[in-house]
Amino acid sequence: MSSPPSDSNKIIEVIDLHKNYGSLRAVDGVSFSVAAGEVFGILGPNGAGKTTTVEILEGMRPPDGGIARINGVDVQEDPRGVKAVIGIQLQSSTFFDNLNLNEILELFASLYHRRADTQAILSQVELEDKAKSRFKVLSGGQQQRFSIAAALVNDPLVLFLDEPTTGLDPQARHHMWELIREFKEEGRTILLTTHYMEEAEELCDRVAIMDHGRIVSLDRPDNLIDGLLSKGFKKERLEKLANLEDVFLDLTGHALREE
Amino acid sequence: MMFRANPTWSLTIAALKMWFRDRQAIFWSLFLPLLLMVIFGILNFGSFGSVELGIVDGAENDASRQLVAGLEAIDTLDITLDGTEAQERQALADSDRDLVLLIPPGFGDTAEASAVSVLYNQGSPQESQVAEAIIRQLLDEMTFNLTETPRRFSLDIHAVVTRNLRYVDFLMPGIVAMAIMQMGLFSVAFAFVQLKSRGILRRLMATPVHPVSFLFSQVFTRLTVSILQTLVLIGTALILFDVQIAGNLAAILLLALIGGAVFVSMGFAVSGWAKTEEVAAPLANVIALPMMFLSGVFFPRDAMPEAIQKITDFLPLTYLADALRNIAIDGEVLWSQWQNLTGLGVWLAISFLVAVRLFRWE
Repeated sequence: MSSPPSDSNKIIEVIDLHKNYGSLRAVDGVSFSVAAGEVFGILGPNGAGKTTTVEILEGMRPPDGGIARINGVDVQEDPRGVKAVIGIQLQSSTFFDNLNLNEILELFASLYHRRADTQAILSQVELEDKAKSRFKVLSGGQQQRFSIAAALVNDPLVLFLDEPTTGLDPQARHHMWELIREFKEEGRTILLTTHYMEEAEELCDRVAIMDHGRIVSLDRPDNLIDGLLSKGFKKERLEKLANLEDVFLDLTGHALREE
Repeated sequence: MMFRANPTWSLTIAALKMWFRDRQAIFWSLFLPLLLMVIFGILNFGSFGSVELGIVDGAENDASRQLVAGLEAIDTLDITLDGTEAQERQALADSDRDLVLLIPPGFGDTAEASAVSVLYNQGSPQESQVAEAIIRQLLDEMTFNLTETPRRFSLDIHAVVTRNLRYVDFLMPGIVAMAIMQMGLFSVAFAFVQLKSRGILRRLMATPVHPVSFLFSQVFTRLTVSILQTLVLIGTALILFDVQIAGNLAAILLLALIGGAVFVSMGFAVSGWAKTEEVAAPLANVIALPMMFLSGVFFPRDAMPEAIQKITDFLPLTYLADALRNIAIDGEVLWSQWQNLTGLGVWLAISFLVAVRLFRWE
């Protein structure tokens, strides 16, 4: 496997992680590391163990065996220490009904003993004019973006994004991709799970493909594709130079639609 | 801004803000109890009303008119004079009369005793007894006057003005207790089931906040509300019904806090057991509804059968309502309520243990 991060800048380090649910080996000896500033993707079919792996890294679930460290902090020894330096966007999470977006961000910042520039965070996810709105009145894409805004209140070193574009229209998805590239430019490390291979190919520096609780392959997307081709794989039908999404975006434009 | 962001403090402020913006919570915890107190207070249910007395005067002579005039002079009696015997018997059967007095023809004309008949409604024994005593006394009076027997005894009755307890005086502490129960049980049970089912609790636990900080903010908010409910209900009763608070307000508020703690714990137990709002709602109702009617909130428990009274003695709402009533209305001191306080303490311990056992973050 090419370009593993050098020891000095490993911000996520996972060594032989195990987690069982009864007789089910949800995570069965997973090891990998992520360099600071990398966008790292975890792919896999449902039930492959991605979510459990990510939850262990987030300090939300203790492992049965193995070690996971974020920024040098062991997640099992100090889960709250880990939570302090990471930002989490949970899939389909909601927020309090009776607070507006600005109040929710202020509340979340205070949970990290911080005061956040909530207006700047809302502008970054293009919700600056929604500061006084309630979460439930937002569109799906806006809710996803707010969910990410809430993950930014502690200026995290590592961002965990769990299927951030599921359910979004093409415009909103491309917009989310732009946002993720921005976070990378700011120097944040991003751990992304997704079901869209195109998304992983577009954004990720490296991807780990999981199945049955194990990592079955880990490399740069290019290398994985080249590896497959070198085994003599051929698509049955040659792709055209454009796809239906390109047609869709050409017809409807790139501007966000949800407002 | 000078203050350093403190998670517990921020969570508490946010929880208070959310509570006061929650129209449902306001409706059930404040508006509905207030409405019940005002309606029941105005209707004045359960008070001793006037006695409905029907008189069929078969004599229509001086003696009978004297008796009727004597009865009419008494305020408690609401007299109907113009019915026939058949009509009055029917009215009695329909419970439109508590009592019917039949004056026979030739009443008082002869030297022999004339028998007046009294028919009374078994459904209103208290009213009938009062009226019967009044009639008996009037007849004795008339006998004395006719026979001109010198009086050897006389009865002087002195009305002593004591605290004149009205229904609303009884009702107000009961409503305060009920409001605290509704608030603790329902607002915690619903809020937490919702926080869990919608993933909000999970999102909070993804931050470094300590779970105890969050629990504290939630409990603190609800105890604050229980104090507020007590003050609003007592204040309204003072202004609208001129209810006299005989006891110490601090003792009343302390009881509100203790009661709040009992029912908030029960709410946590329910939210721990119920996975969805569809389960939490009936479960909370199964606990709250019987207590609302069995714990002497609206009517004194004396009216219940002995066996049921015995059981309802041990309900948490009974302890709370009784203690509040004894202090607020009867002016007793807090320590005299040690039995009720012990009862509440036992319920607090039970609910707390069940809540700790059942409560789950996910």
